[in-house]
Amino acid sequence: MDIQVRRGLSRREFLRVMGVSAAGVLAAACGAPAAAPAAAPAEGEAPAAAGEKIILRMWSHQNTAFVQTNEQLISKWQEVRPEVEIKYENFPYADFIQTIQTSMAAKNEADVMEMFGSWVQSYAKGNTLSVVPEDIVSLSEARDLFYAAPLDGYVWEGKLFGMPNEYNLENGAVLTNKRMFDEAGIPFPPEWKSWDELVEHAKKMTKWDGETMTVAGFHYITGDGLGFLLWEGILERGGEYFAEDKVHLNFLTPQAEETVQWLADMAIKDKVVDPLTFNGSTNWVGDSFFQGMVAIGFIGPWIVPVARQNHPDFPDPWEYVSAPYYGEKMAFAADAGWGKVVSPNSKHIREAWEFAKFMTMDQANARQWNVGTGTVPALKSVAEDPTLLNDLNWLGPSLKVLPYGRFVGDLQDRDFVWYTVIETRITETLQGQHTVKECLQLMHDEANAMIDSKIGA
Amino acid sequence: MAIAASRRRPLSRSQQWFAASALTPIMLYMMAFTLLPMIWAVLITFFRYSPTRQGGLLGLGGGNPFVGLSNYADLFSDSPSGKLFRIAVQNTLIFALAVLPLNLALTLPLAALIESINERLKTVFRTIYFLPTVTSLVAVSLVWGVIYNPTFGLLNLVLRSLGLKGMAWLSDPQTKVLGIALPMFCLIITYVWQDMGYNLVIFIAGLQSIPDVFHEAARVDGANAWQRFWLITLPLLRPTLTFVIVMTMLSSWQVFVIFYVMTRGGPGNATRTLVLHIYETAFRHQEMGLAATMAMALFLMILVTTLVQLRVLRQEWEY
Repeated sequence: MDIQVRRGLSRREFLRVMGVSAAGVLAAACGAPAAAPAAAPAEGEAPAAAGEKIILRMWSHQNTAFVQTNEQLISKWQEVRPEVEIKYENFPYADFIQTIQTSMAAKNEADVMEMFGSWVQSYAKGNTLSVVPEDIVSLSEARDLFYAAPLDGYVWEGKLFGMPNEYNLENGAVLTNKRMFDEAGIPFPPEWKSWDELVEHAKKMTKWDGETMTVAGFHYITGDGLGFLLWEGILERGGEYFAEDKVHLNFLTPQAEETVQWLADMAIKDKVVDPLTFNGSTNWVGDSFFQGMVAIGFIGPWIVPVARQNHPDFPDPWEYVSAPYYGEKMAFAADAGWGKVVSPNSKHIREAWEFAKFMTMDQANARQWNVGTGTVPALKSVAEDPTLLNDLNWLGPSLKVLPYGRFVGDLQDRDFVWYTVIETRITETLQGQHTVKECLQLMHDEANAMIDSKIGA
Repeated sequence: MAIAASRRRPLSRSQQWFAASALTPIMLYMMAFTLLPMIWAVLITFFRYSPTRQGGLLGLGGGNPFVGLSNYADLFSDSPSGKLFRIAVQNTLIFALAVLPLNLALTLPLAALIESINERLKTVFRTIYFLPTVTSLVAVSLVWGVIYNPTFGLLNLVLRSLGLKGMAWLSDPQTKVLGIALPMFCLIITYVWQDMGYNLVIFIAGLQSIPDVFHEAARVDGANAWQRFWLITLPLLRPTLTFVIVMTMLSSWQVFVIFYVMTRGGPGNATRTLVLHIYETAFRHQEMGLAATMAMALFLMILVTTLVQLRVLRQEWEY
């Protein structure tokens, strides 16, 4: 009998199959070649042909108030500009950052992105954002229209890379619980002339159950709060936190030492907050205040819409009260808040900037955005509108301080400086692990080592 | 005529093509979502790469320059990232080496106990202990975060009701338990609580696979319960034990959610583990080249650990 032996898949055939598969995968992964990135559109760039519908993609993070407000404004835009359709997508916050980063690498990010101002300079440095055309708004015009603190986050090397909607403010006002003031016999609302007066009131409202603090008189120990109080303390004492080269940081100044000592004294000597049980990760002020565990809380007014969602049944009356400041004149540093930027890979850069201008520079629209999201306005005309307080009634004390802020500046890696260095070392100092001088030296060395690694020094 | 030993018939040409085409989709999937990302991850370890900077081909070069082995050298340097990397490695080792014996010490005796009771109760207990395993780790982390809350958490409420002092379970950087920082110790407890059901079920299956004849023979020979467990059950359970030890170590090296939700690496980096550090380096500090380098280091550490375990725990017999 003739037995025919059939071969299995030969090596050549196997490699052929693998090669075809790999080629298919590579073709799918690489995709069509992306359009070459462009900076500002050329002068006199022709608009879309008559009748042609332009589609722009807009991205934002997923926050109910933000999404609803953006959708309302997009509808308004469609009535005015029906030929430019906006496709709006939103992402959970953690996914949003990754989505932007990975899509930029593939050059297929959205035409318009609602970006947090603290991120903008790092993207601008990397040439991954479009410059605002001069005829949309020049930098000098923008400086007249917007407050310096939010606007300067969108400026890099003398060019404007976006327009802010929000002034991300932490300083100037503090949350106060009226019930606790009343129970302690303290007049409400308080009118503090100095931080010492605030601390005295806080001490009266601090409560203990044995050795456990159950109510913090003044809770300021948060990742954001410690940084903002540090900058404010240094600036109001006549100091500067940037070194002479304007790149490195200098924490070894007398003003920095006085400020950190003041922060430490409030916790260690005055005991208005227990840093072990009230800090950035345990009993965070944004929650603990609205759980009745904090009498005076240092956190920006952006928390109000969040707190109303997370703690809708909080019964105590509360309001923002003007915070005291050190010295003769208030001075503080702020992050730039949420605003609109445009991708240099957009096929309709002109229309994208027109849409961004519609959202940020039209007074009525910018006001609607701030009211809908519960945020502090970056546009001066909105902040100075007396009717704004009819809709955002907690903003009164905060609006008074807007002119005194400056943009925090390019820290190279903002989160590293703020959380890994400042929050960690100052919290450790408040918990008794370092002296003030040790804390300052650690912050100085660690922050500047990071800066050196970023600038390639 | 002698009957030739049966030979496995080779596939026909049409069968070969069918097999190849059936396997192609999963192969494409594996290549697109596993192999290619792995190759990309290795590639960017040689670049100072951030997607926020514009580069050349595939985003490499230009604003994302080639740096050779500089990222690898950075892990061992005195730079801030190097120091944090070594802290993260140390914390991860502490976590993994603490979780393993604690997990085994709890799950193996528990499995033996459950296996010794009647069938109906066995099912009830198995379900109860497995429930945390199927619960979302985020939900578990949030609930345990509330339990550990120093002001109103259940633990401190119980302690204070007994006249004892409450503790700052997740934020006390100085207290240590058995040489482990208190917050890390609390996270170990949380993780073991959530994960033990998985090992328990595997051990129960392993115990059920041991033939009764060995226990009966031992009983006949006069062995007591402890002797049967130590001399019969445990050796015969070795394959299962090997699997559990390897899988527990593998997952311990890669835990992320409880650290991210409960402490974010604090207080003062006391609970900063490697995967959390990689995530923050990549997406918070936007240094993906460095993060990919750390991921390669993690891969090598897990590989070495697993190979050592398999070598030490190998057996040369089976039943």
